[in-house]
Amino acid sequence: MISLRKVWTVAERDLRIFLQYKFLLIMRAAWFLAQIALFGLIVNKMLNPEVQLTVGGNYYNFYAAGLIIAMLYSTAVFIGYDIYEEADHGVIEYLLSVPVSRKELVLGRSIGGGLRSFIYVSPMLLFVLYIIGVTNPLQFLVAFFSLFLFAFGVAGFSITLAVSIKSSDGFDILLGVLDALIIRLSTTLYPIAYMPSYYADIARFNPLTFAADLFRWGTGIESTLLTPPAVAVFGIVMFFSVFTFLGIILHERRLEGGSWQ
Amino acid sequence: MAVKAIMHVIERDFRYFFRYKWWIAGMISMNLADLLIMAVVYTGMVTREITQQYVSYFVFFAPGLTITALFAAAFMIGREVNMEVRREISHYMLSLPIKRWELAIGRVLAGGFRGLVYMTPLLITTLTITYLFANIVPSALHLFVIIIALLFISIGTSGLSISLAISTMSFEKYITARSVVYYVLFFCSTVFYPIDLVRNALPQTLVVVAEYNPLSCATDMSRSFLLGYPPFTFFMLLDIAIFGLIFALVAILAYMKVTQK
Repeated sequence: MISLRKVWTVAERDLRIFLQYKFLLIMRAAWFLAQIALFGLIVNKMLNPEVQLTVGGNYYNFYAAGLIIAMLYSTAVFIGYDIYEEADHGVIEYLLSVPVSRKELVLGRSIGGGLRSFIYVSPMLLFVLYIIGVTNPLQFLVAFFSLFLFAFGVAGFSITLAVSIKSSDGFDILLGVLDALIIRLSTTLYPIAYMPSYYADIARFNPLTFAADLFRWGTGIESTLLTPPAVAVFGIVMFFSVFTFLGIILHERRLEGGSWQ
Repeated sequence: MAVKAIMHVIERDFRYFFRYKWWIAGMISMNLADLLIMAVVYTGMVTREITQQYVSYFVFFAPGLTITALFAAAFMIGREVNMEVRREISHYMLSLPIKRWELAIGRVLAGGFRGLVYMTPLLITTLTITYLFANIVPSALHLFVIIIALLFISIGTSGLSISLAISTMSFEKYITARSVVYYVLFFCSTVFYPIDLVRNALPQTLVVVAEYNPLSCATDMSRSFLLGYPPFTFFMLLDIAIFGLIFALVAILAYMKVTQK
């Protein structure tokens, strides 16, 4: 039986830890500012007018919405680094000794990892909503709650990778490469219609595509190029379920024994 | 004798660089993802003016890729210098029969040469792309000028990164400062977009930054020799040389001062 109180205790601990990374948070905020105030503005002028129409009238809005998803992904994934930090300092052994089951531990970490990224992204999310506006609050609420699941799923994904690899260098490199590929092979930066078919086929099943398109739908960006919302919600629920489940299984089996490098 | 001592320092830093082979592999994959995914997708989205001037966005971005790679690799020396100062490894280095100024010059040059070596396969990729798509083969003189300019950029970047690294003992502050410098220099340059678009989209102050930005000058100089546009001007070479010399000098003086403490 999973105790929600214990799950929350674990999640709360991860939230507190996150606040210690103030320089990391400043760095990510600087990245967001540079993207939205420099890259986004200039690229918006670089595009064909036809593209502007197909993305719902304004590429800048389309891009700003995608940036939020990229930010959510890159901050939620950070929980994996925490696991290595804890392994390095022997905190994992301590965590295993507290009266919290492994399932509660990994569930709490997934929720904590997702929740803290959401809290961090919130001011930027509000800024983007100010730029884009929200036309249908109900649609927005559906998208907003799905994004919670997305953030929890990303945290579960990061935990799954961290406990599978058990090498901080390997994890760092794999995450860097994945970060480069998963964002570029999704609709966070550009619509699927302009991707060559060999990239579009991958992007269609990318959870970032589901999240980005759902968020755009939630804000009322009207583009025929977006993934249908029902498909996007289904994709996010699947992503969350698979990686939370995998995270729990692997966390239980691999946390003890073997060496962390 | 000074040359021999400086060569020893450079050799040491090169050995360290190749220890990060997985990091290098990860970084190359990220650089290639920018070219082979992001630039390919944007190719189908940009205005006709870019296609008319530069064949395609993919071809336009190819010289920018070289600069991105060069900058990232040359900047890495700062991370090592910051770590050495924090852990007082620099004290051990001062015990070696090498003069302080030889050590300082060696570190700055090593950072520069590392950037150049890392960038070489990507420059070859760029040359292949411009030959295949624009049917332009640069003359030996043009190629020589490009390599010399890139060396200056690399040395200047190495100097900039060492200056930042020794201006603070905190690693977090260093990586935050590095990120801010990185984002401003890259997104406020012509690496990703032509200068005309920057003029249309950004306020005058940032346009001036973009025009005088050595990364803009190096990228546009490569484009002028490899794609025939924009036209080459001596200002580009002058700007690059000034950047390289100033930051190399600042880094040498700062490094000598910090090792005297």
